[in-house]
Amino acid sequence: MKTKNSRSLENISTLRSKVSASAVGKLYHSIPISGQIISLGIVALIFSLGTNGQFLHISNIMTVLGLSAIPMILCLAVHQVIILGAMDLSLEGIVAITAVSAGLLLKNSVTANDVGLWIIPIVMLIGGLAGLVNGLLNTKLRMPSFISTLGMSWTLFGVAIMISKGSSIPLRDLRFQKVIISEFLGIPTVFILAILLGLVLYIMQNKTKLGKHMYAIGGNEILAKQAGVKVDRIKISIFGLTGMIYGLAGLLLVARLNSSAARYGNNLLFPAMTAVAVGGVSLSGGVGGALNAVIGTIIVVALNNGLVLMQINPYMQSAVNGIVLISAVALTIDRNKIGIIK
Amino acid sequence: MEKKKIIEFKGIRKVFPGVVALKGFDLAIYEKEILGLVGENGAGKSTLMKIMTGNYQPDGGQFLLRGQPIVLGGSMEAIEHGIGMVFQEGSILPNLTVTENLFLCHEKEFSKGWFISESAMVAEARKALEENGLDINPTTLCGNLSPAQRQMVEITRLLWLSRLYRHENPILILDEPTTVLLEKEIKTLFEILNRIKEHATVILISHRLEEIIENSDRIVVLKDGDYVTEMPGKAADIFKIEQLMVGRDMVEGYYRRNEQVDPTDTVVLEVKDLAIESILEPISFTLHKGEILALVGLIGSGKEELVKCLGGSMQATQGSIYRNGKRISIKQPKHAIAHAIGYIPIDRRIEGLATDLDIADNINMLVYKKLKSRGFINKRKERDNANHWMGVVKVKATSHRMKCGNLSGGNQQKVVLGKWLSADAEILIVDHPTRGIDVGAKDEIYHHIRQLAKQGKSMIIMCDTLEEDIGLCNRMLILKDGKKVNEVSCPPDAKPAPTDIIESIV
Amino acid sequence: MQKDGIGKQPAIKRIKGRVAGLPAISYALGMLVLFIVIFAVGSATFLTRYNMLTIGNSAAILLAVAMGQVFAILTGGIDLSVGGIMSLVSVVLMKTLEPLGFWAYWLSLAVGIAAGFLNGLINSRFRIPSFITTLGSNGIFMSIAYMISIKPLSAPSSSFGVLDIVNGTTLGIRNIMLLGVLIFMLFFVIQRYTITGRNIMLLGSNEKMSWLSGVDIFKVRTIAFTLSGFGAALAGVMLASNLYSGYPTLGTVYILNSIASVVIGGTAMTGGAGGVLNTLVGVMVMSVINNGMNIIGIDVYAQQSFLGVLVIIAVAISFDRSKLSVIK
Repeated sequence: MKTKNSRSLENISTLRSKVSASAVGKLYHSIPISGQIISLGIVALIFSLGTNGQFLHISNIMTVLGLSAIPMILCLAVHQVIILGAMDLSLEGIVAITAVSAGLLLKNSVTANDVGLWIIPIVMLIGGLAGLVNGLLNTKLRMPSFISTLGMSWTLFGVAIMISKGSSIPLRDLRFQKVIISEFLGIPTVFILAILLGLVLYIMQNKTKLGKHMYAIGGNEILAKQAGVKVDRIKISIFGLTGMIYGLAGLLLVARLNSSAARYGNNLLFPAMTAVAVGGVSLSGGVGGALNAVIGTIIVVALNNGLVLMQINPYMQSAVNGIVLISAVALTIDRNKIGIIK
Repeated sequence: MEKKKIIEFKGIRKVFPGVVALKGFDLAIYEKEILGLVGENGAGKSTLMKIMTGNYQPDGGQFLLRGQPIVLGGSMEAIEHGIGMVFQEGSILPNLTVTENLFLCHEKEFSKGWFISESAMVAEARKALEENGLDINPTTLCGNLSPAQRQMVEITRLLWLSRLYRHENPILILDEPTTVLLEKEIKTLFEILNRIKEHATVILISHRLEEIIENSDRIVVLKDGDYVTEMPGKAADIFKIEQLMVGRDMVEGYYRRNEQVDPTDTVVLEVKDLAIESILEPISFTLHKGEILALVGLIGSGKEELVKCLGGSMQATQGSIYRNGKRISIKQPKHAIAHAIGYIPIDRRIEGLATDLDIADNINMLVYKKLKSRGFINKRKERDNANHWMGVVKVKATSHRMKCGNLSGGNQQKVVLGKWLSADAEILIVDHPTRGIDVGAKDEIYHHIRQLAKQGKSMIIMCDTLEEDIGLCNRMLILKDGKKVNEVSCPPDAKPAPTDIIESIV
Repeated sequence: MQKDGIGKQPAIKRIKGRVAGLPAISYALGMLVLFIVIFAVGSATFLTRYNMLTIGNSAAILLAVAMGQVFAILTGGIDLSVGGIMSLVSVVLMKTLEPLGFWAYWLSLAVGIAAGFLNGLINSRFRIPSFITTLGSNGIFMSIAYMISIKPLSAPSSSFGVLDIVNGTTLGIRNIMLLGVLIFMLFFVIQRYTITGRNIMLLGSNEKMSWLSGVDIFKVRTIAFTLSGFGAALAGVMLASNLYSGYPTLGTVYILNSIASVVIGGTAMTGGAGGVLNTLVGVMVMSVINNGMNIIGIDVYAQQSFLGVLVIIAVAISFDRSKLSVIK
């Protein structure tokens, strides 16, 4: 599988040519996400020096892993669309609506509903339907995905607030929260869930026809179509799948806090996009995969955790993320492919 | 040895609005041969190809494949019938591996249930590549391959597919396959094609006649959508083919030859030893006031790049340019414009016009500075300037506020011309001035070119046909393989014959 | 060649076929009239003088930010950082009002212009798509606002006099509305009567041709985003003065609202078509919808959903698909 993963390195070719000759270079190439691992190493080094080793303490590492779980799931969702070369900004809206639906359908203190475990397929269905609309707007109405999904996000967020009447809905079903905050062999269960999802997507991307065709579309949509790839159908399914995963993330957010509100959807898009870019998934499409999404999220979460540990003004975090996002995109984007930069 | 016909066209005809692309001729293509298809731009080669790959449907006549009449709905259907095309720009996805590219959309051949067996795919890829004598690692990313290797992968893919669909004699169409290849790679390509010929038909389209002659078993010449003749490959004579391709009688008075004026002695532009690495060898020439200079040469002769250097959209690697005797440097289009050099591009809609905007916007775009009063653009001056130049170049439109996207090709070209005239361009680089324009409008464009020369404007032109070049210019520079090979003067009463020029071009 | 990109677009073709030929602004005007009629029928208070003034007040602020946004969109880009710029500017204004007095306005505007310039620079020089550039820089601007003050800042009562530049009245008309008119005129003149404005239109219409015709595309793009920052800064100071306070999330809703105004007015997301006049109508539509929905008692958030749908519809109608070979 070495070859597939070397995609993520494509765009740091200058760095690559410098190191490729040496033995270190060989090692660098044999590991699929070396560049990102090095970044993580640098982040870890800086913060462990800055916090006298506190950063690398096992308990902090587990905290970072636990914190990274939900962002990771979101990143795993959105990176799929980005591999297609499209964009999905509907994340916050879909998470908000699924979170609110989960809150109202599980045993809660506002309505009489209690769907129990059925909630899992229900949130996936809601998210999936929203994703499907995104896909249809992009392929059938031929609208640029970044604006249609932005519109979707606003629409769904508004709907979420309406049906929740703008307030939080406390849950009375503690089972979900128990699973979320539990640990398995000392590792947060929710992190394991995220990794499992990553694994499923990894297999899908590398071992199935759908995965191969996704990359073909991301590489060049016109050529892929010529070769017989069913472009529209795949785009719609991936948008739908992405929506389903947003739905899962919405449920997990609700479970973790044992209550639900539309505002749980707020401020999720930005870290997810940063993780995608930092992980080496190129915004121009066709490059990078689930592994990149996983490591990208860990880097971003570790970075923010480190800033907290070093007692840096918490509001500086979004500035740091903004700078990291812009620089990561600057490094990974293939400017020849998108032609004119708008 | 009698060969079996694999494809047969009977009275094949294709009409586009305003143009008859194929005039209804017969042509047979045989098994196990390399067929060279030659003709000028617009001779009908690509239309014919597109009918074979199912992208166009003929308007008349029959297309028989293996003796059966057939209608192909698209390139995938063509592939299922054993017809595959290698495109000039390539259709390999750079972000996929060789294996993935080879079997794109046929992964199910290697699937167990939902999952693809990567190892089976790689093994099959290795086998397929070896069969064609290719030493390419099937797990490399195609982005890391050379253009030649990518082309080989594409050919391998098509052959593998034809076997998948159980075709004994697949048909491979190669459109200008050698333009992106190095000398050595070209040799390898033809070696491989000659091997493939043992069990396939290869149709070759190329501007490089030497290649065609050297490698084809049979050459078919097309002209103006019609079949001219055919000849066995090895014995063919390059000049003869060129004459057959071009050979059109020069119409007296056409190109407004009687209006041609002699240029003055003033040198407005001088190019000294201008060169572009691996494209153009050092070239020097002068352009006089009121002169029309034609650049003539085949694709790859370096003429396109040469004018790009003068227009500023490309940079020369060495040499110098003098304008009215002073050395100038042109690094960007705006520098050229500052020296009153204008560029009328081949593709008006992409490079010449803002089609969303109106005629006035397009004509005035270079001269807003002149249309200001008290610091702001003055609407009346804007309208007057637009109307003035619309009148000069005779744009047919209801008002200066008409959107350029709604104009005909000829009128669009006139707007582009008006734009540069309004900016007082003294040297115009005119890239295929009559491309896609109907006959009547063509004559008007010729008239404008003559008028401009009379007014002392200098022009460098590259035309659709050799006759047009000869007919319009005062002097022509002939380029071949990045070198200037000849310079021919073309006075109105003693125009050289196209056949004489061809000798230097090829 | 270009036609290949159009491909099949059955649904769109049908919609377009029916309304073809009308300029985009006429849909927006139609919408404006329609909503005015609906709200006038639905509520007795809608057409009152007082309510008209309320609409005018909020329209003036939205107008300023939308006037900037439209320049970013005319180049074919988008500015998602207008919210961050507005917030930052509001905080800067409130923080410096006491020491600087009237000069605080100039400082705040300068901050907004610098922020927009930065966006333009990153977008054009580093060649990063504007929606990523501005998504990132929006976070940066908000962070800076937070670093200046986490809590909302109120205007010190000693400086209320200074705020009269926005809140006062001149000849019986509220200054904020006069400002709105002035801002519209300023941006209108920039778009229609300056070379920069013309070059922005050219760039949005055909970037390659613009470059071949000697337009400095880096400079023009940077100026477009600087203008967007300027518009956001104007809106930021107007809103902060109006509220007598500034805080780091003050501008957030204006990201959506400014983009919605621009596209509802009929400016194409592909750039090069539409402009300031269209956006004026778009702003009126938006202000009428917001106000009318408030009056007839529709939830604020239902309004957001409604706008989201409206934006999708407006883009679906106005987007020029022939300009892109692949819709991503």
